[in-house]
Amino acid sequence: MRVIIHDLENKYNKLLLQKCDRIIVVDGKYSACRGCFNCWTKHPAECFIKDSLHEVSKEIGRADELIIITENYYGMYSPPVKNILDRSIGISTPMSIYRGKEMHHTTRYGMRELLSVYAYGEMTDAERESFLFMIKRNALNLGYKHYSFTYLESIGGLGEI
Amino acid sequence: MMKILLINGSPKKKMSASGFLLTLQSLFVRGDIQRESLRTKGDHGRILKKLKDTGTVIFFLPLYVDGVPSHVLYFMKDMEGYCRVNQIHLKVYLISNAGFIEGKQNEALMQVFKNFCHACACEWCGGIGIGGGVMLNVLRILFFVFAGIFLLGIIISGVQRGDWLPVEAIEIFLRQIAIIVFLYSGVLFYMIRMAGAVNKGEFSGVKYTRVLVPSFLFIIIANIFFIIISLGKGGIFRGWLR
Ligand SMILES: Cc1cc2nc3c(=O)[nH]c(=O)nc-3n(C[C@H](O)[C@H](O)[C@H](O)COP(=O)(O)O)c2cc1C
Repeated sequence: MRVIIHDLENKYNKLLLQKCDRIIVVDGKYSACRGCFNCWTKHPAECFIKDSLHEVSKEIGRADELIIITENYYGMYSPPVKNILDRSIGISTPMSIYRGKEMHHTTRYGMRELLSVYAYGEMTDAERESFLFMIKRNALNLGYKHYSFTYLESIGGLGEI
Repeated sequence: MMKILLINGSPKKKMSASGFLLTLQSLFVRGDIQRESLRTKGDHGRILKKLKDTGTVIFFLPLYVDGVPSHVLYFMKDMEGYCRVNQIHLKVYLISNAGFIEGKQNEALMQVFKNFCHACACEWCGGIGIGGGVMLNVLRILFFVFAGIFLLGIIISGVQRGDWLPVEAIEIFLRQIAIIVFLYSGVLFYMIRMAGAVNKGEFSGVKYTRVLVPSFLFIIIANIFFIIISLGKGGIFRGWLR
């Protein structure tokens, strides 16, 4: 399964739906993570906050390919996109192991294939380097075997996804 | 006098490791210290207003998915706009703490903060990335537990035997404190160093440290910790690892 998270206008949904099985809506109308870990310890892979991200861990966790299209913010995702990632830590379990010679959580849905990130908006060279590093870290941390990062000069480049 | 603003960016209302690190750092930093808690968008206006007569900001953040928690990222965008419009050039330090044991796992977050400072024409003055944040919290609770047991021991020994200075109890307590201080020593060392840099308005460097426990042991302890919590909260009976 292929899932897309994007913070573009809704008019792009039609085009993007041809390229994936599901789009997770980034409208910012959801709460930020409160850091309670109940999605690990109380009701696994579910958030206690009953908004559109209540079960987002299951949606992301069950997809072997996650595509993120995001505006650049200082060399990372835009806030509403990052909000979704923060609310989806239920894709991991609370148990830890070594992965890539560091401590990480075991994956609830097994290792997934690919994390692809497409970033747009102004980006300095330093931000580009940081973004690539962030995605490398995320792929290891969240349990993706491969990752890719593409800078979109313009939204027209979406066709190549 | 320009203020030093300490901002706790943990969304937790109480018992956050970031809040604890903030309290600790306020012991070492000199000047007109102000404390703020950044949990929701409702906090932005109040904190931004304070930036006008602030010279230095120290952020205390939890690491979320290798980066900045989303609610803090929203604030950073607002702060960038506010600093630009009001021509505010602050000195910015960061103390971040991660759940995993390796302090180096905060590296991507440090880079993002450096980029952020560049974007809002503030001065990036460095940071400390700390590993083992949850354990920092547990250790401080243990400190109070040990202190409580110690006091109770003194009272019992005083009332029962008239011995208000029980040497054995004092020895045990001092040993317990020494172990906690040892486990904290890397964190304390770098925080005191950073405080020195803050007091002089200098760059403090970017440093990584951790609770001083071997990582294999930390992983075992962390797993036991989550098993116990999940037993208590019931998650273990609701498809815990599925
Ligand atoms: C949504 C979320 C994401 C997290 N991501 C990471 C991570 O990527 N790496 C890590 O080491 N710890 C991670 N943690 C653990 C926190 O950084 C850790 O528990 C920290 O001590 C919390 O600090 P606080 O008590 O100040 O909120 C995450 C926690 C939450 C709730």
